[in-house]
Amino acid sequence: MGDLKYILRFIGVVLTVEGLLMLGCLIPAVHFADGTWVEITLAGMFTLCVGLLLVVSYRRATTMHSRRMAYLMVVLMWVVLALFGTLPFLATGSLTRFVDALFESTSGITSTGATVFSAVEWLPASVLLWRSVTQWFGGFGIVLVVVAVAPRMGINRFSLYQAEASGADNTGKQSATTAATVRQTLGVYILLTLVFIFLLHRCGLHVWDAVNLTFTNISSGGFSIYNNSLEGLTHGQQFVVAAAMLLSGVNFALLYNLVTLRLDRLKHKLEQLRLYLAMYVVGALLVAAALATVMGYGVGDALRLALVQTVSVLTTTGSLVADTSEWWVPVTFLFVVLSLCGGMAGSTAGGLKTMRVLILVRHVRRVLRERLHPRAVNPVRLNGSPVPPRLTANVMVILIVYLMTALAGVLLLMLCGTGATESVGAAIACITGYGPGLGLSGGFGCYAHFGAGAKLVCSLLMLMGRLECLTVLVVLLPAFWRR
Amino acid sequence: MHEYGRVVRVRRFNWRLMARVTGVLSLYLAAGLLVPFGVSLCVRDGMQFALAAAGLLILMAGLLLRNMVGGRAEYGLREDESYWLTVAVWVCVPLFGALPYLFTGVTASFTDALFESFSGFTTTGSSVIGRPEDLPQSIKVYRATTQWVGGLGLLLLVVAVLRRLGLGAGSLYEAEFSGTQQRRLHPRLARSVTRMWVVYGLVTTVMWVVLAVQGVGVIDAFCVACSTVSTGGFVTHSGGVAAMGQGVVTTVTVFMFLSGVNVAVLYRLLTLRWRGLWRDAELRVYAVVYVFAAAVCTVAFVSKGGMWGESARYALFHVASTMSTCGFYMSAPQGWPFFVSVVTFVLMVVGASAGSTGGGLKVRRVMVVARYLANYFNAMIHPNAVTRVKMNGEVVEEGYVDKVLAFVFLYVLFIVGGAWVLTMCGSSIPEALSMAAANVGNLGPSPVVDTMGGHLDYALLRPAAKWTLAVLMVAGRVELFALVAVVSPSYWRLRRLG
Repeated sequence: MGDLKYILRFIGVVLTVEGLLMLGCLIPAVHFADGTWVEITLAGMFTLCVGLLLVVSYRRATTMHSRRMAYLMVVLMWVVLALFGTLPFLATGSLTRFVDALFESTSGITSTGATVFSAVEWLPASVLLWRSVTQWFGGFGIVLVVVAVAPRMGINRFSLYQAEASGADNTGKQSATTAATVRQTLGVYILLTLVFIFLLHRCGLHVWDAVNLTFTNISSGGFSIYNNSLEGLTHGQQFVVAAAMLLSGVNFALLYNLVTLRLDRLKHKLEQLRLYLAMYVVGALLVAAALATVMGYGVGDALRLALVQTVSVLTTTGSLVADTSEWWVPVTFLFVVLSLCGGMAGSTAGGLKTMRVLILVRHVRRVLRERLHPRAVNPVRLNGSPVPPRLTANVMVILIVYLMTALAGVLLLMLCGTGATESVGAAIACITGYGPGLGLSGGFGCYAHFGAGAKLVCSLLMLMGRLECLTVLVVLLPAFWRR
Repeated sequence: MHEYGRVVRVRRFNWRLMARVTGVLSLYLAAGLLVPFGVSLCVRDGMQFALAAAGLLILMAGLLLRNMVGGRAEYGLREDESYWLTVAVWVCVPLFGALPYLFTGVTASFTDALFESFSGFTTTGSSVIGRPEDLPQSIKVYRATTQWVGGLGLLLLVVAVLRRLGLGAGSLYEAEFSGTQQRRLHPRLARSVTRMWVVYGLVTTVMWVVLAVQGVGVIDAFCVACSTVSTGGFVTHSGGVAAMGQGVVTTVTVFMFLSGVNVAVLYRLLTLRWRGLWRDAELRVYAVVYVFAAAVCTVAFVSKGGMWGESARYALFHVASTMSTCGFYMSAPQGWPFFVSVVTFVLMVVGASAGSTGGGLKVRRVMVVARYLANYFNAMIHPNAVTRVKMNGEVVEEGYVDKVLAFVFLYVLFIVGGAWVLTMCGSSIPEALSMAAANVGNLGPSPVVDTMGGHLDYALLRPAAKWTLAVLMVAGRVELFALVAVVSPSYWRLRRLG
């Protein structure tokens, strides 16, 4: 029971932050006079009050004993955040159905970027900023934010962090305490955000546009304040956004070491970085070749489109430089595969993460070798050091569960009456956090035509993808609740 | 050769043995062609000269390979060479086997002939022949025979007929079952394999006789029996087995189910040692999944307005066809519930029991993965629990679990990679995925491919797509590892050192 109280207090803290962020959306509401400041104030105050109420009521719950309750805490937190995140949409009347608002809110908080709005430019400025803010907030992983804001919480923070990152990255930490890691990472995140706002502003964008673009792309989110995403920007601006996306897929500890010039520590993540960049370059070249030969683009245009779109796919951002739903089918299929691979572990990107891909490939290679030389000792190595069997097991389980969840998602969506191609596209786009699917929901399209059931399935997939499946599934098991 | 002060024995790659084994199999293939040749003479379908020419050519090629190239072969096979042998045999024999199609002119092109031959030997059953009832009788018999031989496998044929292989036979046996740890029927490997062939032949003969008694013509009965017991799935009539009457459908259903069972279990069944048979975990899961899936599908058909009896019969047939990866199909009684497609796709990936003639991931591997996952979740809730994967009450060693996991990922990789190439040939993504899955699993035609996107006719595919599918079939039949090992650079590096 004590653990439950602690969870409620923790959720209270998170809701307080969310309420404050909502109130932050008053700035554009007042500045652009879009007439929504009453609704936004009400929504923000309500969230803030609920949060504060929880914090005050359970202020004495300062420790948590059970490790498994951490899983419950993480899942509950995301669900509650998504639920309260619907308020601005519903209060301002931008969306009238709860399912739509839940879909949009979940897509924001999980930094997926799938949207139910076929056009966004008519939306009030406050709602547009709210969409961007949820992605910026969620993309980084609110757990990290909260742990950094409240570093004196008495929880065993490491296990919480583990639940969030699902063990994908516990090698090569640069500092002894998690709180310090989190503070450093947050510092890098804010620094990057400011730098890119400045850069985009220098490239000729208004601060408002620059802020929104940066928020959604540095978090690998992909919402846009324009109907045609990145297509209307100048080429220079497109490349700046591409750079933001590229960095969003890089491990934050690595970025911190780069920024602080501790180059000797880079070697802990070098192989992941190499694979990430290799996938980007090879993928972009393949796409460029296809665009130039099959679809008849000029070489320069093909290269630009490929370079920007491939990084958007690989980091599962989902910003679009052109209407990709009309691209050649093998290219869109390649996008599906690349988004499944995803960015580096410990970044805001979704997908399976390069580290898992590396461990998987090496595991398969090891098995093949073992059959040729049964008595040879050949552990799976990463960056020169052997990977502990626990981590390998973790990677295998996540990969299998991830693929099974994706398959189940496809089949469920088809049972909800969605077409085959669109089901595949939507399920993969939601679980990886890419956003745009295939067919009508792909490209500049949206998910508005999906049924209520299909939208719920998609929301669940986004949540599971963001929490890497295991965290959500273990909470759903009956054995979890047995004493 | 001295290296680091130590004597390192370097042996040249034993390619002569590859040639010899392939040659021997070609001779058997040529001898096997006598059957359709005889049929051709009996029914006078005018194919005797073409078949004789193909047979002679294969005979000459076989003699050349066996005596000239492989004349002084050293009998001894290392593990890494067994991979090569596996791939060589599974590529060369279907290549030679394409000659009869080519010479008799029943297929339109060289690609089509190859596709049909690969599909036959790998027991996939995808066909480019639109109206099989128009085929000459001798060619029908030939197609069925290729499936029958491919059913238990070319490698097991090698083990059974080449007793001189010695220790190498063990690794071939392992390669055939891809390390699913099959129990042997006899301590001596060659005898054990011979018994498997006897059981296999016996089951086929029983089915042949039953079908003949039910009034199917002798030749058609032979073809259907061979295609069913080998889980191949070539049909003799474009109406499928449904055109032969309800009794035949029932027979085929029973034998499809049986051919998805481990041959070792069938052996115990035939030798009347039934005690403890049911304790075999894989058999139990296979049977339970079968009954459950059939029941669920029956309800789905009834909800579409089908009659209970008719729906149940269809569901039993359809689920047996999918699980055993036989790939027979007939039209559904009343509309096609989408839910059945979902079940079919899952069953198609799962496939038959290990050690049977069927394809797919195999029930045993799926069980291992399921138990591994269950253990992991248990450990998440109880961090200090010690858990091991068990099968039949015994702990499965971790190396085996690793192999199974690697296999599953390679399987997914082949489906996705194959599908990618297929999209380049103009298929939509879901269609390409289900087509690739059906052919890696050696299932062949399946209604799920149709409902996932348009009607599928393999004959209409582009040549590149046919070649891709042929590669997928072989990959699935040799259970991936051999093919991957042979083309992977690390394999070559290691072999040079070894």
